[in-house]
Amino acid sequence: MDNQRKIEILEKKLEAYDIDVSLNQSNPEIKVNREQLIEVSHALKKNEAYEILIDVIAVDYLTYGNADWKTNDATHTGYSRAVKPTIIPDIDDTFEDRFAVFYQLLSVTDNQRLTLKVFASESNPPTVPSLIDIWSSADWFEREAFDLMGIHFEGHPDLRRILTDYGFIGHPFRKDFPTNGNLEVVYDEKKGEVVYQPVSISTRPGVPRVIRNQND
Amino acid sequence: MGLDADNNLIDQQGPGFIITSVDKLVNWARTGSMWPVTFGLACCAIEMMHAGAARYDTDRFGVFFRPSPRQSDVMIVAGTLVNKMAPALRKVYDQMAEPKWVISMGSCANGGGYYHHSYSVVRGCDQILPVDIYVPGCPPTSEALINGIIELQEKIKKEESVAHG
Repeated sequence: MDNQRKIEILEKKLEAYDIDVSLNQSNPEIKVNREQLIEVSHALKKNEAYEILIDVIAVDYLTYGNADWKTNDATHTGYSRAVKPTIIPDIDDTFEDRFAVFYQLLSVTDNQRLTLKVFASESNPPTVPSLIDIWSSADWFEREAFDLMGIHFEGHPDLRRILTDYGFIGHPFRKDFPTNGNLEVVYDEKKGEVVYQPVSISTRPGVPRVIRNQND
Repeated sequence: MGLDADNNLIDQQGPGFIITSVDKLVNWARTGSMWPVTFGLACCAIEMMHAGAARYDTDRFGVFFRPSPRQSDVMIVAGTLVNKMAPALRKVYDQMAEPKWVISMGSCANGGGYYHHSYSVVRGCDQILPVDIYVPGCPPTSEALINGIIELQEKIKKEESVAHG
């Protein structure tokens, strides 16, 4: 089916909702309001046969568009100028347009994939309704997004950390979390156990230093 | 039967007795049956399994993997050690009976490697336990690991197991 046609059909079928349909590669991407996320998801599963939730992806747009350095000429001027701290914009407690959650859906019936995009609320913690009642595979995906990005999925029955260390503080995939973390572990001979201590190395930029254009 | 200067078992014709030092005898026994605890953490463990399987066959050195730390002499730290795993690794090490040795396998176990600047990775397993042999590589080949095992055997042969007054 023609891609443009796919979009038109989707827009028509979901015209009751305040959505924005675009193309991502050759697959439709739907931007939806938080308030209508559950209704739209229901409609996609029941009416459009998107039976499977493949993945949940959380994005932090805090430093979106701010590079540590201009990468185009990095190889001509050497590495040293690249070593400067990452620009972290002033953070206040509003998270407006900072966190987005993407849902990758698959319809086995129609052999069709679809991306659902929703921005989290600007409150602290940023909140998105849980889709666990619609696709049960959302369970661990949402726990992971909560663990690493600190996004609260309202209605999730068991929103615990899933990957990070026991007693871990912070959400490591947020852009304002130091790459090195805050704690490291060592064995304490006197106590005879593994203990935590403040991290002993300093942060450095982690962005690739050379990015080549496709035609170079 | 007897042991030559390099601790190799030699077959002698003649009377049925041997002359050697207790140190050499004990070290010969230890180097001939170094049983590593089965403890794989990441991709290095795949190479470790290859070393133990038919092609490289560490059984030739008396090295075969034990499912319990209580029965093990060697721990091969094969892979990325993360903060969450560190107490478990130390516990397994503590459960091993003396004498015990540690081989650190691969860049991650040696010093954090690719994940040196990560918030969740231990920057070298020697932060957690004493290491005897470091095997470099990412991951080290099975040959490299076997070389590390042989180096450990050479190291053990130099140990004095009996206190000399």
